Amino acid sequence: MPLYTNNYVLVTIFLFLGILLPVAALTFGRFLRPNNLYPEKQTTYESGVEPTGESWIQFNVKYYIYALLFVIFDVETIFLYPWAVAYDKLGLFALIEMLIFIVLLIIGLIYAWKKKVLEWK
Amino acid sequence: MEQYLTQPLSLQTFIIFFASAVALLLLVLGFVTYAIYFERKVIGWMQARIGPNRVGPLGLLQTVADVLKLLLKEDTIPKKADKPLFLIAPIIAFVPSFAVLAVIPFTDKLHFADLGVGLLYYLAISSISTIGVLVGGWASNNKYALIGGMRSAAQMISYEIPLVMSVIGVILITGSLNLIDIVERQREIGMWFIIPQFLGFIIFLIASISELNRTPFDLPEAESELVAGYHVEYSGFRFAFYMLAEYVYVFAMSALTTVLFLGGWLPPFEFLSFIPGIVWFILKFSAVVFFLFWVRATMPRIRVDQLMSLGWKVLLPLALVNIFITAVVKEFIA
Amino acid sequence: MSGEFIAFFILSLFTIGGAVFMISFTRVVHMVVSLAFTFLSIAGLYVLLEAEFVAVTQVIVYAGAVAIMMLFGIMLTPHREQEEDAGRAQKVVAFIAVAAFFLIAFFIIQGTTWDPSVHHFTEDNTTMIGKTIFTQYVIPFELVSVLLLVALVGAIILAKREENDSE
Repeated sequence: MPLYTNNYVLVTIFLFLGILLPVAALTFGRFLRPNNLYPEKQTTYESGVEPTGESWIQFNVKYYIYALLFVIFDVETIFLYPWAVAYDKLGLFALIEMLIFIVLLIIGLIYAWKKKVLEWK
Repeated sequence: MEQYLTQPLSLQTFIIFFASAVALLLLVLGFVTYAIYFERKVIGWMQARIGPNRVGPLGLLQTVADVLKLLLKEDTIPKKADKPLFLIAPIIAFVPSFAVLAVIPFTDKLHFADLGVGLLYYLAISSISTIGVLVGGWASNNKYALIGGMRSAAQMISYEIPLVMSVIGVILITGSLNLIDIVERQREIGMWFIIPQFLGFIIFLIASISELNRTPFDLPEAESELVAGYHVEYSGFRFAFYMLAEYVYVFAMSALTTVLFLGGWLPPFEFLSFIPGIVWFILKFSAVVFFLFWVRATMPRIRVDQLMSLGWKVLLPLALVNIFITAVVKEFIA
Repeated sequence: MSGEFIAFFILSLFTIGGAVFMISFTRVVHMVVSLAFTFLSIAGLYVLLEAEFVAVTQVIVYAGAVAIMMLFGIMLTPHREQEEDAGRAQKVVAFIAVAAFFLIAFFIIQGTTWDPSVHHFTEDNTTMIGKTIFTQYVIPFELVSVLLLVALVGAIILAKREENDSE
């Protein structure tokens, strides 16, 4: 049985290496790459023409609805995990409990469907 | 690895952990280099072209040359960009792609962290990448980049739900989130989860291709309309890290698919078990990688409205049906 | 000094540091990124407490979902503006509120009697949570699903109204 601490030490090493590689590569690259900036090079790319207007614009609300739906379904999915893991030890009662849960979830989905928020216009 | 994981931590075990993680990192970098070469070759052949064949024998050094070129490119930062976020966004996108590899078991002996919540760890960490993409698109202060970033994020979150739900069938049969337990369970029931969890497998495959932002779900990059998507303004090695993250995820997703649905290191038939497990793992893993490239060469890009309705109206209900069927079957058969 | 203590120290530093930066940044996107960093550090603290499942839930729900929802929310507003400095009165009120909260939290923590025995939850963390939820806390669990449904419907109604206004 692997030790808990060792597992997370490994995870930490992976996170550390994941940060180290880009930082090291970019620092090393600094000695190799040219650094010759001038105003034209620093303009925002817009297919070759002068950039017009603002790019930090207000987005349509439909994006936000997806984000909201995502958070809600994410939380619901999280509940499915311990249920699935412990299902062996819980039996039929847990199945019914989860059925109620999923039905409520589906009602929410149908509501969103009928309100046409799942549509991308 | 196993014997070191069970020992209390000392300087020696720490060095071994660190060295093996570095070895995996180098292996993954090598994989990415030749996966890109292989992808270009495969797509080339499928389109009756030759593919890269100039640099080195058979073009084998093509990607190496590409990486070296990127290393020598200037790191331009647009004046209007949000500088600090522009600089760290590729790193935010890359770190999770490598960190998820910590839980992938290659064989029952050769594995890294053996977490009790392995599968959920993978899904949780990989969800952070979305932040890197979105922040990179925003920080560029470029219209294409921001639209690409928003589309990408909307797509990734829409397909994350079916992805996370499609594996619940596997967990129901296994009763554990540990990836090694999941493979061992496939040995016990004598078949790979692709058979009892076929629906889950299909949902997982589609959702994972979409999570990887690969064709036919590569709308965020749709070069014909958005130039290149969220990384338009990136150049040189910062751009390289976005690309690297994408291909490291190809590695991770293929490995995860192999472990969850294709029996990991298990041989297809018992009499073939004299061949070491790692060979089986590599074979299945390569088959999944090839499948991803094959899909890219075959499928046209899907339309935005179809993309969203496929995720929410088809895959999500199907994933719920799959969970329900699995639970009922398990209740009344077992 | 044990490794666990060092890890706790670093993670607390990250958590508090992320929170402090979140307050002091002027651009909202920077705030959300530092908040996401705080969320991740808190997940690290849960790992130290041997609450693996809670830790990954923290990552998947807060860092992975709530932070992204906030970023999407920012995109919905005119987000090029920087936050203006708060007025003097607002600062005073905020200080009083924070001080009051600190005192309450402090005295509650002081007044609690802790169970000094050490428990280990590393084996089958998730199974235990599953068993507890689906045997002891069935009613709260079902109420949660109703709450989520209400949240979903409410979110759709609000967003729909917003959409109609903008058209």
